This record gives sequence, C-alpha cells and structure tokens, in this order.
Amino acid sequence: MLKSWDTNLLSSEKKTLFSFFLLYLFFVLILLFILGYLYYNFQKDLVLQKYRIELNRLANEQVFRLKRLHRNFDKQRVYPRDKRFESAIYDSSFKKIFSTFKNSKIDFNRVIYIKNKKVYYIKELESYYLGTKYLVLQVDEDDSWVDRALKNMLLSGVVIFFIMMVFGYFLLWLMLKPMRDAIELLDRFIKDTTHELNTPINAIMSNIEMLERANLDEKVVKKIKRIDIAARTVSNLYQDLTYLTLGHKIVSYDEMVDLKKLLCERLEYFSLFSKSKKIKIKTELKEGVFLKIDIKKVTKLIDNLLSNAIKYNRVSGNIKVTLANNFIEIADSGMGIPQEKLKFITKRYTRANESVGGFGIGLNIVMMIANEYDLKVEITSKEGEWTKVKVFW
Amino acid sequence: MDKSKSVLVVTIFIFMMVKSFASSIYEKNCLSCHSKMPVKIDKFFYRYLLKYSSEMRVKEALVDYLKNPKKEKSVLQEELLARFGVKKPTTLNDKELKEAVDEYWEIYKVFDKLKGTPKNP
Repeated sequence: MLKSWDTNLLSSEKKTLFSFFLLYLFFVLILLFILGYLYYNFQKDLVLQKYRIELNRLANEQVFRLKRLHRNFDKQRVYPRDKRFESAIYDSSFKKIFSTFKNSKIDFNRVIYIKNKKVYYIKELESYYLGTKYLVLQVDEDDSWVDRALKNMLLSGVVIFFIMMVFGYFLLWLMLKPMRDAIELLDRFIKDTTHELNTPINAIMSNIEMLERANLDEKVVKKIKRIDIAARTVSNLYQDLTYLTLGHKIVSYDEMVDLKKLLCERLEYFSLFSKSKKIKIKTELKEGVFLKIDIKKVTKLIDNLLSNAIKYNRVSGNIKVTLANNFIEIADSGMGIPQEKLKFITKRYTRANESVGGFGIGLNIVMMIANEYDLKVEITSKEGEWTKVKVFW
Repeated sequence: MDKSKSVLVVTIFIFMMVKSFASSIYEKNCLSCHSKMPVKIDKFFYRYLLKYSSEMRVKEALVDYLKNPKKEKSVLQEELLARFGVKKPTTLNDKELKEAVDEYWEIYKVFDKLKGTPKNP
C-alpha cells in the first residue's frame, strides 16, 4: 500500500525536489533559448541568402552603369541611380566616392547584413570603375519573416517545453523511486508489525483486567501494575501505528466532544504510568468546553501529548493540564527540546531525545490530526527545564 | 622695320620666359609632351584609377612607373605600347615628381565631381 506523496515526503525532501525542479526548469529554459537563438539565426541566414541573390543581380547592373560612366567621364558625370535601391561607391582605402544614402558607417568585413531595417550588400569590383573597389547596395528590409519566425519559435517552444516537463516528471519519478521504495518498506514493516501486535496486547490487557487483585499479594499487585503500564504503552504505540498507516483512510465521525470529560478519562488511563514515575499532575479544566471532532482522533491527540509529557518527564516531575474555551495546554517539567530541533520536531521519525524509547511518530500524528481539523499547535520549550504544547482552535 | 622686328622678338622671348616661369612642373614636364600625343593625358588617369582605385595607390603606381618605366608596368594597351613605346625615366627629383603627380590627381580625381540626380521615375 502506497500512500499519497503528501504524507510520504517530508518538507526537506520536498524542498530538494523543488530545487531539482527549478534547476531542471532553468536548464530547459536555457536549452529553449539556445534553440530559439539558433533557429532565429538560421531563418535570418535564409532570408539574407535570398537577398544576396537578388542584390547581386542588381549590383551587376549597377557595375555595368559605372563602367559606362567611367568610359564617358569626360562627357557625362551624373551618378547612375536606380529606384529599386540606394547605392554608394568606395575606393580601396574605404574612402567614399559617392553615396545616395546617409549612413556612412559600412561594415566592409561582411558581404551582406541587416542594420536598422535596411539590408546592405557589398560587392567587391574586379575593375575599379571610377576608382570604385566596393559597391554598397541598400534596400529596405521586408521584416515579415521576423513575425513568422517568432510565431514558429513560440509554438515550438511551448511544445518542447511541455515535452520536457513530461520528461522531467518521469525523471523525477525515477530519481525518487529508491526513496519512495525505502519509505514504502518502512511503512509496510510498521503496518505488518502493528497487525501482529494487536492480538497479544489485547490478550495481556484483558487478562490483567480479569485478575482478582483483592486476593493477591501486594508485591504481585505491584508487578501486575507494571505489566499493565507496559501493556498500555505498547497499546498506545499500537494505536499510533494503526493511525499512521491507516489513519488517513479512516472516515471521521465528528461529534460534539466534552473535552473535560475526555481529558479526565485519559488522565485516568495514564495515571498508572504517571504514578510509576511519581509525577504530580495538576489540572485546570474548564467546564462545558465542546469541540466538534472525531472522538477517536482527539483521543489520539491527547494521548500522544500526555504520553510525551510523562515519557519525557523526569522522575517526581510535574505536569499541568489546562483546558480553556479555545485551547488545551499540556506543560511538563521534562528534559525539553533543543531550539534547533523545535522546527523539525513534528516531522515523522524525528526525535528530540534518543534516551527514551519511541519511533518519533507521536507529534507527527498530533500534527496530522490538527491539520485535519484546522487546529493550531504551538510548541515552546526550554531545554532541560520544560516543554509546553498548546492546541488552539 | 628692323626695329619693330627686334621688338617683336624680344616680346616673344619675354612672353616665353614668363610663361615658362608661370607654368607648373606638371604642365612643363608632363602635359607639354602628352598634349601632342593622340592619347590624351586624362585617359591615362582613368586607366590608373581602373587598376589602382585609391589615391595613395594610384600615386604610388604613377611615381614608380615614371621613375622606372617598364613595359609590364604600363597601363597602356598592347597595341599603343607597341606604337609609342615605353617612355624614358623621369629627370625630376622626388619632390618635383610628387608635386607633378599631386597636381595630376587634383585635376582628374573623381571625388566631388559626380553629380547626383533625384531617383529615376
């Protein structure tokens, strides 16, 4: 069974994925830009090639006219003009002999080029009529090809971008497969373990309840109590794991829950456990505070907070449980959570302290339930002194 | 009569003297002979322009040819060259030669001589 990515991927992993995606996007865009640039230049070359053939023909006509003028220069001194183009003649030292256009900056290193929407074609003459080595022809550029090229680029760009995104998605999927497999394996292992725990725990707990304690020796009762605590701890863990693996699939049955009644019940449930650590529990519970919520889920939330408060408390410590109109607060005098871990404490498999048994799933479950019901969870702590968990609604 | 004849001779002599002093090196040393030739001096200029294009190269070629005339360096057509032959090397010094060539260029250069017209209909 594979759960949705949302519950499987931690936010740091999401961040990595996001970075990867951004990088991928960046490279795709660069690739598209280069392709576009190459395509544009290719189109431009094609257009220039067309111009070149046409302009060379016109240039030859002009050369013929220059030749005629050269021969008759003693009688005729009017520069030949053509309505199809503007022209200029330059000598071998690039000195202008005559020009019919204003631009005097000609790039003699190129044969044909486009500048300021004008096409320039430079023909080098073999015989220098009137000293002309370079004949420059200028015509207006027909730039309709630019619109066509841009339209094609945009269309192909979108198609390629889409294909690359699909490709990227599969790449990401491939890259994540080992990680997802590992998470799936862990989840499956927990689920299988959970399933196997159910029967023995129920057997232990029901048998302890059935024991007639009145007839037993005080020492035996004490031992049985310890067994009871241990069994409840395992039972609690079992419920956590069940919630984690199946929780999001369980349909919620929301009802108005009397929180004071529920808190008292849960405190009673954990009393054996807290007494075993000699923890004093102070309560400040307001009457008549109701919340519309699934009772199983709110029980899980409270159980996790209480069990953390007990588990991570010191021997003979204190716990204060407060219930007000819009919040529950559970404060303990435990070992606290280091500041740097506070941010990540609600992530699955994250544990503030390794000295006490656990999987690091308790607060993760609290957050999952809180998120489902739009409850706000505020965790404050001072390392080595106290931890306060406040749940608002 | 003799007196008037001698006055005419002196006048002609003075005129010749003045003329020879007033005319340039180019006119004295180049034009004087070329004007008698069937191929006019401007035709030579346009042949040089046709082959050498720029002012600097035309002048260089002219100076080079005048100092050391050779058949293979001449811009004249084969048949004309066969008819008139290659000229003798110049007797002018470098400075005079440069002056003559500069004047020749100024007289026949194309720059500023071409006229523009509105575009043909």
